[in-house]
Amino acid sequence: MTMLKREDWQDLARDVEWDYSYVDHEAVYPDWQSGTGKVPREAWAKWEESYKVTYPEYVANQNGKETSAYAVKAAMQRSKAFENLDEGWKSSTKMHFGGVTLVEFMGQIGELRMARFGLNGGWRNMAVFGALDESRHTQITMITGHEFVARDPQYDWTQKAFHTNDWAAIALRSLFDGMIAAPNVVDLAIQLPLMFETGFTNLQFVALAADALGAGDINFANMISSIQTDEARHAQQGGPTLEILMEHDPVRAQWIVDKYFWLSARAFSALTGPGMDYYAPVGERKQSYREFMEEWIIDQFGRTLRDYGLKKPWYWDDFMAGLDVWHHSLHLGFWFWRPTVWWNPVAGVGRDERAWLQEKYPNWETIYGPKWDTIIANINSGQVEKTLPATLPWLCNTCHLPNCNPTFGRDGRWRVRNWPVSYNGVTYHFCSNVCRQIWWEDRDGLNNPTVVERFLAGEIQPMDVPGILAWMGITPDVAGDDGHQYAWAAEYLPAQPAAAAGA
Amino acid sequence: MTTTQNGQAPEPTEAAPYLIPLNAVFDDDFLEILVPVMSNNTIAELAGAVAQHVEGVRVPARDAEKVVLFDGRRLAPNLTVAEAGIAPLDHVRVDYAS
Repeated sequence: MTMLKREDWQDLARDVEWDYSYVDHEAVYPDWQSGTGKVPREAWAKWEESYKVTYPEYVANQNGKETSAYAVKAAMQRSKAFENLDEGWKSSTKMHFGGVTLVEFMGQIGELRMARFGLNGGWRNMAVFGALDESRHTQITMITGHEFVARDPQYDWTQKAFHTNDWAAIALRSLFDGMIAAPNVVDLAIQLPLMFETGFTNLQFVALAADALGAGDINFANMISSIQTDEARHAQQGGPTLEILMEHDPVRAQWIVDKYFWLSARAFSALTGPGMDYYAPVGERKQSYREFMEEWIIDQFGRTLRDYGLKKPWYWDDFMAGLDVWHHSLHLGFWFWRPTVWWNPVAGVGRDERAWLQEKYPNWETIYGPKWDTIIANINSGQVEKTLPATLPWLCNTCHLPNCNPTFGRDGRWRVRNWPVSYNGVTYHFCSNVCRQIWWEDRDGLNNPTVVERFLAGEIQPMDVPGILAWMGITPDVAGDDGHQYAWAAEYLPAQPAAAAGA
Repeated sequence: MTTTQNGQAPEPTEAAPYLIPLNAVFDDDFLEILVPVMSNNTIAELAGAVAQHVEGVRVPARDAEKVVLFDGRRLAPNLTVAEAGIAPLDHVRVDYAS
């Protein structure tokens, strides 16, 4: 039998649309799910993407990727590579496994929502492939992390993290609920495939792949590289959606882009920044987090703005200033509140590391040097208990990360500024003016209390540190501790006299 | 006029002290923290409650007076938290005076 040529059938197959005779269009594509808003229904007929993959091609490609990825994984299982990995790198992977695995599953839900409610047949088809992609990503990330559970219980949080009330998990759930679970699919297509996947996953997947190879973790590099090849395809759903929305409702388009660039940047400063600038051994760092952001994220985002006729976000100066501060503060926060996380933060502030930080971030010693010096003095005087938390950090009502963004003020000092708002008799506090603005615009659609609010409402009992840890699901075998058992602080001890040293 | 069972006027009573959770930052610390105080704590006690989480912990300790700034005002140390008008979820900053 003669096979039809691909080009003779594909357009017809992938762009299937029909009119409904028993129900109206609104019943099939309700606006709260489909989100056409001010965009006329017929405008979505122009939606077009360039990959145009067929199902047989998709299956063949994915089969090849899976075979290759699992072959490398099987080979690495027989090696001693894991035993030789530094705790700093292991912590980067634990953050990734716990922070990303179930986001991949949420991604699958988002793709399925676009596959059902997308306003163009080609879009819905593309989203089906996207859902299959995200299913694969959940599985390969889960099985890679699961492999290490028997050796280290913190890897159990690959599956567990998103099911707990850990504050970091709540921050991520809040972000992805807003990005993926709650919005209509027009907003979703811009928030997830465009802003997050096109804009930011390079950060986690390209930078982390390079760091993985540097650390000798071929298995991890192999896993995330395999995942990233899929992202490049299904992330294409965002562009055509934004193009149509810009034509009919540019104000809405600009707001979605502005909001999710900021919120994604906040999340990645926590998820990726500490790994790049503190957990990776200083000799193996190719770029600082700021350098990587400038090359891979800001350039890409600038192209997106230009390509679609968008304006630079109103907060651009605040964002750029944050590149020198956000992830350093979050790193110090992770380290100080280390019992509350499922990895072992490496301090990363030995003398060589501080010299590197100061070179890359000229204000680092001014802002963070005295704080780490105080911590080091406490460790070296045997007062490690003074380096552990006795209260909660205040968490931002928008990004759910600690309010820890010092800014340089007219007072000539780098200080944390307070960004409050009172609404319906309650005072809320934010990490930044931008998070406050986003909250204000969305205030009637938000219902995600921070850990501090839950604590003050009495949800956490007893109201002390053990009670908080238990509520977060943190058990003693999982609670984070200094990744190098404080050995790094010894180089700051006063030099011993030669005679005493030789005695 | 209300009287007690023995016919004497009751002693004037103050409102029972109540808990006031605060959003606080100490000097040049890198983040805001949750600090609970009682409404009858003095401002000096409030300063101490905030400082205990930070001073000599993340910010080098200094032999200097601590002041509390609230709503753009420097508060007298002998006022109580309630007298100063500080309410639950308010923000306070504790600084070294010099």
